Amino acid sequence: MFVSQSMTREVITINKDADIFEAKDKMTKHHIRHLPVVGKDNRIIGIVSDRDIRSALPCSLLKDYDTGKTREKLLEFKIKDIMRIDPFTVSLSYTIQDTLLLMQKTQVGAFPVVDKQGRIKGIVSTRDLLRSFINVLGIGEPGTLLCIIAEEKIGQLKKIVDAITEENISFGSVLVARYWDEGKRAIFPYLLTKKVGHVKRKLKKMGYTLLDPSEWDIDQISQNK
Amino acid sequence: MNKTGFLYDEKYLLHDTGPYHPEVPARLEAIYNGIKDANLLSMLTLINASIADLKWIETVHEKDYIDRFKDACLAGKKIFDSPDNQICSETYDTALLAVGGILDTINLIMKNKIDNAFCAVRPPGHHAEINKAMGFCYFNNVAIAARYLQKEWNIKKVGIVDFDVHHGNGTQHIFEQDPSVFYYSIHQHPSFGYPGTGREFEKGSGPGYGFTLNSPVLPDQGDSEYKKFLEKDLFAAFETFKPEVIIVSTGFDAHVDDDMSAIRLSTEGFSWIIEKIAKMASTYSNGRLISVLEGGYSLKRLPELAKNHVEILLNS
Repeated sequence: MFVSQSMTREVITINKDADIFEAKDKMTKHHIRHLPVVGKDNRIIGIVSDRDIRSALPCSLLKDYDTGKTREKLLEFKIKDIMRIDPFTVSLSYTIQDTLLLMQKTQVGAFPVVDKQGRIKGIVSTRDLLRSFINVLGIGEPGTLLCIIAEEKIGQLKKIVDAITEENISFGSVLVARYWDEGKRAIFPYLLTKKVGHVKRKLKKMGYTLLDPSEWDIDQISQNK
Repeated sequence: MNKTGFLYDEKYLLHDTGPYHPEVPARLEAIYNGIKDANLLSMLTLINASIADLKWIETVHEKDYIDRFKDACLAGKKIFDSPDNQICSETYDTALLAVGGILDTINLIMKNKIDNAFCAVRPPGHHAEINKAMGFCYFNNVAIAARYLQKEWNIKKVGIVDFDVHHGNGTQHIFEQDPSVFYYSIHQHPSFGYPGTGREFEKGSGPGYGFTLNSPVLPDQGDSEYKKFLEKDLFAAFETFKPEVIIVSTGFDAHVDDDMSAIRLSTEGFSWIIEKIAKMASTYSNGRLISVLEGGYSLKRLPELAKNHVEILLNS
């Protein structure tokens, strides 16, 4: 789960002396929201986001804001005037987990990925992480989600996985989360099958409680904190 | 009273799915017995299975896929494309017989010999993709039916209503770029149930954008939620689309007593749904409605659900 595998490698960058309209056009053309600003040797010197561009331009509801004299005046401003200097970057050896936690902490939506010399090698954005998580969750493939409540003790997950594997069912993913009741865990296996009736009955027979997934929100505990 | 066709054949029992599989021949026997025990058989036009011409299967499925499926059955393989799809040497022929019976049923409807029909076939079809078997399905019965209506009977607009508790991914994908076939599905929300597609933002693509419509229903919901969705989504959509023929992917697995999902539709809820679809067929499609069996696994509930289904088709 390294950033180097999930990042976008073909980075669209911009020069610090480019004007604001050029940056705006690049973002529109490539459907992106961040442009790393690079100098000599592709070294990162700043980043400009679509929010920076919007703040720099007059209200788009005003007539002729991007033509005539207003445009001429705006053309005098360069990317170096609005870019964020010394942006957060991540190294190639960062993991997806590092990047997620950094995004949560900094509230930044994209990080340039740089090598040891500070040269840009890629960019990792919320979009790249979403793609990774869709892959990790296995939800790109057809399957059925179960929710099993188990005691919080060693070996529970193995028993569940074994019981399901014996039925020749493959896993898309297994998530484990805290549960309301102390000493209990909620286990969410995403099974790549439509045929879950038999395995559900088997798990119940083994003494597990199967919850309808709608009865429990995976995010509720952290939200309530 | 309508002239209602009933497609059923003991040959449909020959597709053997092996042990611990919910899609069993006993499902069809339960359906047949439910209709027979209610003394409805004499009121129905009985239709038997017939082998479909491959050219009609090829209007939907790739030739390589059809050959691969045939070879797997002939070679005595037990599984095809996924462990869910347990097959036997008779599965390929049974699948051809299902399609053939449905096409014969269409001919009877289009020649005005019958008004509508219920096709109790196995294997089901709505998960089958162009080149992939999925979720117990091999040939997409309703998709082939829609293409047959268009090519053989010059029908311009086909409406498909799929109320099986699982989303009909195959049917949706086959027609998602096609504005001449409207695909509507109501099913358990894909985050909780197989196959994980059929979200409300899936609306078709290219020229077919706006001709696919999905109503995902959260677990534990039942009759009132289904009524709300059908009124808001399906009725409004078909009022605009005005299908010339309605094909129904009929699944009885959203029933509260069916353990394939956490949807809690009642027996009366099913009756309400088919009554409303039949009413739409009367309004827009000259009554032409072909109901094709998909899922439904509660052997206890299938007799009454099938009996009610056929009674409504007779009396709508």
